[in-house]
Amino acid sequence: MGELRFAKSHEWARVDNDIITVGITDYAQKELGDIVFVELPKVGDSVQRGSAFGTIESTKTASELYAPVSGKVAEVNSELTSNPQWVNEDPLGRGWMIAIKANDSSELGSLMDEPAYEQFIEKESH
Amino acid sequence: MDCKMELKQTSLYQKHIQHKGRIVDFSGWALPVEYSSTLAEAKAVRERCGIFDASHMGEIAIKGKNALAFLQYLTPNDISLIQKGQMQYNLLLNPEGGVIDDLMVYHLGDSFICVANASNKDKVLAWLNKNKKEGVKIEDQSDKTALIAVQGPQAAAVVSKVVGEAMNLDYMHFVKATFKGKEAIISRSGYTGTDGFEIYPSWDDACLWWDAFMSAGKGLGLVPCGLGARDVLRIEVGYPLYGHEINDTTNPYQASLAWVVKPQKDFIAKDKLMIIKKEGPAQKRVGFIMQQRGVPRQDYPIYAKTKKIGRVTSGTFSPNANQFIGMAYVDRDYTAAGTEIEIEIRDRLYKAKVAKWPFVEIGTKGHNHNAFIKKEA
Repeated sequence: MGELRFAKSHEWARVDNDIITVGITDYAQKELGDIVFVELPKVGDSVQRGSAFGTIESTKTASELYAPVSGKVAEVNSELTSNPQWVNEDPLGRGWMIAIKANDSSELGSLMDEPAYEQFIEKESH
Repeated sequence: MDCKMELKQTSLYQKHIQHKGRIVDFSGWALPVEYSSTLAEAKAVRERCGIFDASHMGEIAIKGKNALAFLQYLTPNDISLIQKGQMQYNLLLNPEGGVIDDLMVYHLGDSFICVANASNKDKVLAWLNKNKKEGVKIEDQSDKTALIAVQGPQAAAVVSKVVGEAMNLDYMHFVKATFKGKEAIISRSGYTGTDGFEIYPSWDDACLWWDAFMSAGKGLGLVPCGLGARDVLRIEVGYPLYGHEINDTTNPYQASLAWVVKPQKDFIAKDKLMIIKKEGPAQKRVGFIMQQRGVPRQDYPIYAKTKKIGRVTSGTFSPNANQFIGMAYVDRDYTAAGTEIEIEIRDRLYKAKVAKWPFVEIGTKGHNHNAFIKKEA
């Protein structure tokens, strides 16, 4: 298990050498409510740091998913298409979304570590 | 939640906080959109029962010797078809035949109570006052009237523990009942298409009734439900919502509410509506079921073979039908059940089919709970 980093847009990134696994945080899934639809890119697609790589929809709203690093999509959790509720049930586990082969892992330096993210959501929820 | 202070609160607000409701701004009211899960709450109502706070709704009493004639002229449904103790779904129409609001009209004998949407209450009151005749008294009782809905196949078991006579009520009938010396109107009705009751206590008694239902519901699976579940449930059975399916420019024929219009009586905009009826509306409200996974949302365009033929008015994932469903306005050539349509979601087309309501099993125990829909079909 690699180290977890967090984006201000509430994605998490698990770093495993140059492979970065991405999902949304527990805070994000709680805020969104019941997830009913997840749209993800295909393996081999390019993603750009800070740009949308997919869409997630809850009963309430549709939101974009942002890539925490630039690179190529190495793997996709295609089971989420028929099991979007996994994002609610296990956002850091079965609810993972894509794995990115990063062009430059040092881009992750701008993301928050867990204590910093916790402080961040503390502020955001007030 | 601190930023919600300027919103109006119902007298059940503290209950919503206790139940950890997620509070949102709904037409200026601080109300729970959900407690834990919209989908779980919507499922609970179809399978067991749920309790809703709908105290934001407006209650307007029409009194006086000309009350009936006054209401009869402003609405297309025939209120003379119901008697004291019965209620009726009706519409308040403008002179063009557009819908000012949809109403539940309660017949109290010598007066009537019209239940209006919260967002429309001021507009409804203004319209009623503008058209007021001699011998008519209009009284806004919204501030002193709460509304609790208990809905689901177990609703009768729950409500009759608090008010025994509830069990014998027929669909769209009501009684004045008393609990611990406090009076409330209780009707067998609701906005979910399942068995259920709507209870109108005084504003200050709402907590007393809520607590009574909550403890009566222990062991029967009663859960508090938010606005999210309410929306899912009404879409599952094809009930229109003001601001989505109906507004000042939609007429009852477009809205697939032809059954509400009773041409045997005289009423405002009747001539215009009779022309529309004869010619047929250019577009009509229909239900649809997605054939591909995707969430249809209000104002998404609808196509049939590259031609734009309509737009989505409401949509959701239905946990009870286990499908993505919605309502739409489509050109009249595309309203037949089974018609293949495509819905544009974020620049991509998703297949869907026009379908007949309801999208779930409804009604229980011999009561004619689906009358509303049957008439529509």
